[in-house]
Amino acid sequence: MGNKLIYVIFAIVISMACILIAISFAEPVANAGGIAHPDIPGMRVGGDGIARLAHIGTLAFLFQSLLLLLVVCLCALGVAERHRSKELFLYFAGTFIFSILVWWQMYAGHQAFMESGTTSYFMGFPVATSWQVYGTWLSAIPLVFIYSMGFRKFIFTKEDEEKFNQLIAKQTSQTEQ
Amino acid sequence: MEAYRQEIIIGAVVIYMVFCVLTGLWAMKRTKSSSDFFIAGRSLGPIVVSLALFSSTLSGFGFVGGPGLVYSIGVSSFWMIVISSSGYALGFFLVAKRIRMIAELRNCISLPDIVAARYNSEAVRFLTAITIVLGVMGYLATQILAMAVVMQAIMSGTEMFADIGLVTCVVISSTVLIFYCVTGGIIASVYTDVVQGGIMMVAGVLILLTAMSVFDGGLQEATSIILADDSESMMPFGAAGMMASLGWFFVFGLGLAGQPHLVTKMMMNRKISDNRSILPMSLFGYVMAALLWVSIGVIMRAAVIDGVVPTLNLPDDAASVFLSVFTNPLLAGIVFAGLFAAIMSTSDAFLNIGTAAIIHDIPKAINGKSIQNELFWARIVTVILAIIAASFALYSHFQDATLVAILGAFGWATFAASIFPVLGIGLNWKGATAMGAVTAITAALIINFVVQLAGITLPYGISGGLISFITSLVLFIGVSLATKKPELDDDMETVLSI
Repeated sequence: MGNKLIYVIFAIVISMACILIAISFAEPVANAGGIAHPDIPGMRVGGDGIARLAHIGTLAFLFQSLLLLLVVCLCALGVAERHRSKELFLYFAGTFIFSILVWWQMYAGHQAFMESGTTSYFMGFPVATSWQVYGTWLSAIPLVFIYSMGFRKFIFTKEDEEKFNQLIAKQTSQTEQ
Repeated sequence: MEAYRQEIIIGAVVIYMVFCVLTGLWAMKRTKSSSDFFIAGRSLGPIVVSLALFSSTLSGFGFVGGPGLVYSIGVSSFWMIVISSSGYALGFFLVAKRIRMIAELRNCISLPDIVAARYNSEAVRFLTAITIVLGVMGYLATQILAMAVVMQAIMSGTEMFADIGLVTCVVISSTVLIFYCVTGGIIASVYTDVVQGGIMMVAGVLILLTAMSVFDGGLQEATSIILADDSESMMPFGAAGMMASLGWFFVFGLGLAGQPHLVTKMMMNRKISDNRSILPMSLFGYVMAALLWVSIGVIMRAAVIDGVVPTLNLPDDAASVFLSVFTNPLLAGIVFAGLFAAIMSTSDAFLNIGTAAIIHDIPKAINGKSIQNELFWARIVTVILAIIAASFALYSHFQDATLVAILGAFGWATFAASIFPVLGIGLNWKGATAMGAVTAITAALIINFVVQLAGITLPYGISGGLISFITSLVLFIGVSLATKKPELDDDMETVLSI
């Protein structure tokens, strides 16, 4: 998997491009990008949420799911090939599953609200929006942990540091000569 | 105290500006070479780098344009903030370690230096430098305009300066900015960033607390008012819709690792191992400061809908009106100083990288060597660049009343699409080629400019930035795979393996 990662990333990006093209050619909806507020200049409203997502909801959901996968794959690309261990991929897989769950909760919460017109609140926001505000941010925190806590194991080991210092020393001696 | 509100606010801002000037004078003594001027001699500790990194991220766009966007389109703009954890993580995974290694190994002082070393290509250096200059013009103009708008809002509240013009405000604020950037270079910039970052964090928290008390029912009452008026505005994709929101996640999240003013700061830390602490500290600071963006935007939208305050003339007035209506004078003074801090911390970073591109990289790409007496010319070009950007800002303001925020987003998207693939992927994949880099940058620039200048509107709120970013990614990897695998220099081969 380690040395094939760029092909996986390429496949994800191509898929996202295809989805974007499909969305661009989907049946247009009048207020998909918002419309002016009827009473307040400078403010925009979204209007009918169900209509806005009627033709693109599933495609957009897929787009974001692929984006979340892309984020994790790119982070893996940032780790030197020989440090891309099963343990590391397990951590990345866990992060991806967590972020997909959050994304699903947000999307499903929004759908549920559009159908029922009612919502409960969590920490100041409607539940679906809470998943967005707090959940989305938190879902990438495991990546921060992997980087910071696993720095000497995956990112820049003592051997890496030694190797780099040797490279600098070699270059310095060459320059002096 | 209320009677002296404007005087207190002006006092806070003046104290802050005097501090900037003094820092510039102090840093001038420490700036002895172009390396000191552009990358602080790679000598900064983790706290300084963390604060400089996040304060440069959250610019005037965040403090003026951000609340304005929430006021205008609701929750849609939250996507630009909630991606911060993904964005910072990606930036560190993909860029932080290797950019610092190459900077030390090849004695690089700018981002184009790094890509030229990586691809062994002056064409890539040239295109990166051109991208930086173009992006900097748009972005710097945005910052200067934001600074002047805020200053005018403050000054016009006093009897003495009631009729002060925007041009005068541009001149005053730009003069302070130019002074400390010219005298102290990046050293002045990062040390002012430290204080600026501190002020921004304090301001963010205090504003959140104030915002919670505007309505008796706190934040929930405010969001309920917005929800009752237009439910979509308060739902996860806001008024701008799902694709606009997800596009921002893409462009702002992945794009962070392609912002030259940010990644350049990753070259400045003393030790590579400091990155493990810089990442969480930067992210924490960003989140604290971004509280202002969310809380002011939500409260102002709810307050206008509920009739608590009159309709704003412009969405970008959200922050200044909130501060004048809902905060006590002392807090308003701190936050206004924080506003200037946010704007200046980004502006100085842009001035620095723009100058480096003009006097160091473009001549090097064309003639094979940089100009004589770089430090002297760096100071001259810093002044010229700031004056041009200020003129551009005034022209944009008087000829075209586009939101400050949209201009800022355009700058960000240009950098994201052009630089992210070349840097973020290129530093981690040995198969990336110069041809791939040239194709990606060119395509990104063309698409961004054509979509923006021709005013092309895409369906479902899809942004031109998103299109250009995905296109450049596809082209970068595709062309690199299709062209001959490059032969890397031994040292670069080693660095890309570490």
